[in-house]
Amino acid sequence: MIVTVTPNPSVDEVYWVDRLKIGKETQEEYLTRATDSDISAGGKGINISIFLARMGLENIAMGFVGGYTGHVVVRALRDEGVTTNFVWTGSGETRINLTVLEHGREHIPILIDGPGVAVAEAEMNRFMRCYRRMLKVADWVVLAGSLPPQVNLAFYYELAKLAKQAGVKVAVSAGASCLTHCLPAAPNIVKPDTREHLSFEWMKLRTKEEIINAGKRIVQDGVEIMIVSHEVTGDIVITRDNIWEINARVQTTQFRNLVGADDALLGGVIYQIHNGAGIEQALRFGLAAGILSAESREKVCGDKGKIEHEMANITLKRI
Amino acid sequence: MKVGEIMTRDLTSVEKDIPVKELIFILDSAKMSNMPVVDEEGKLIAFISEKDIIKAALPGYFEMLHSTSFIPDMNQFAKKLGQIADDPVERHMHPDVICVEVDDDDLQAADLIIRKNLKSLPVIDAERRLVGVVKRIDLLHHLL
Repeated sequence: MIVTVTPNPSVDEVYWVDRLKIGKETQEEYLTRATDSDISAGGKGINISIFLARMGLENIAMGFVGGYTGHVVVRALRDEGVTTNFVWTGSGETRINLTVLEHGREHIPILIDGPGVAVAEAEMNRFMRCYRRMLKVADWVVLAGSLPPQVNLAFYYELAKLAKQAGVKVAVSAGASCLTHCLPAAPNIVKPDTREHLSFEWMKLRTKEEIINAGKRIVQDGVEIMIVSHEVTGDIVITRDNIWEINARVQTTQFRNLVGADDALLGGVIYQIHNGAGIEQALRFGLAAGILSAESREKVCGDKGKIEHEMANITLKRI
Repeated sequence: MKVGEIMTRDLTSVEKDIPVKELIFILDSAKMSNMPVVDEEGKLIAFISEKDIIKAALPGYFEMLHSTSFIPDMNQFAKKLGQIADDPVERHMHPDVICVEVDDDDLQAADLIIRKNLKSLPVIDAERRLVGVVKRIDLLHHLL
């Protein structure tokens, strides 16, 4: 069983516009009418859960939810066939994340993420008990996304350590601080979120060389696979034995919605490894899933046949 | 059809040592009227409903009258509720929980829900681990 943990879920609102008007003076036009919009449950772990469910893999989604928007998230997951096991918080509503996509520039989205709601001590204790129970049925846990306000940066480290002690494999997809804090627990797969920062405390991830150097150091410390999005259509993957550059032969102008594409990529890799595939097959499948997700209106592509077909357009090169 | 195909895939549950006030918060937040109680392995050990909490706060009235119109005043109810707020759930839960297995027929779940007048029914696997719940609305939605 795969268990995903999304500590800070969201309701994702996406608006497609011809041109975003940003007024600088009061007399300027500032109302933008969207040509299309979409609303869905979001957060990295939740996107991965939905992707896995669409691949036919049973999984459990955990995290913290609150208020009306919390119910939107939970309902959307159940409708996708994901088992939910969330802790309800009393301090407010699950956040809303906003994406604006200008036609022709969908590969450069405008993202505004809400901060999320605080988690009380009793709620955190309830989550930890629940998490320990879930470790008894899990063979993989995926820790993904940002942390709610005031949650300790070592949260993912604690969860990863408990999972590893229980013999459960761990994947972490997160931003700078919580990922760096989690590394001493030696997760099996790490995927830094480079959308906000291209550096991770001691790690710089701007160039291919910097990514490779950071990856070598991380795998030396016990991580098995590090995946870093280097370009919109390509990733660099570092393992103990190999370094790959993996690319898709596509034009960025084909992209429709980049939100969730990275999560489909990681979901695809985990799905394949969970099913016993080798790393190269898993990476091809993962990137194909990510590319097709970026090309679709929906956040994650759920068409397994199409993903397998798209794998022919993925190139994998050992560096 | 199997129960697993119609159930709500939700594992919201509590352990037996949590206080009643925390249970009330979870029931309210999750918009549930009852809650499975599980052990540290996630195995179903009991069930507790909002009715059980009311019964615990007003045992005499509930037993005798089955009508809240005979509660003298809401302050007294609140006071009684306050007295059990820190009680562990264990003190008021039903250990003889009615449940179905994930591979049972939907008819069996329907029979129990209708005959026993239940709002929802926990669903367990072969090892008695909670895997979901069948709600009355799940049945209605499924049958329509």
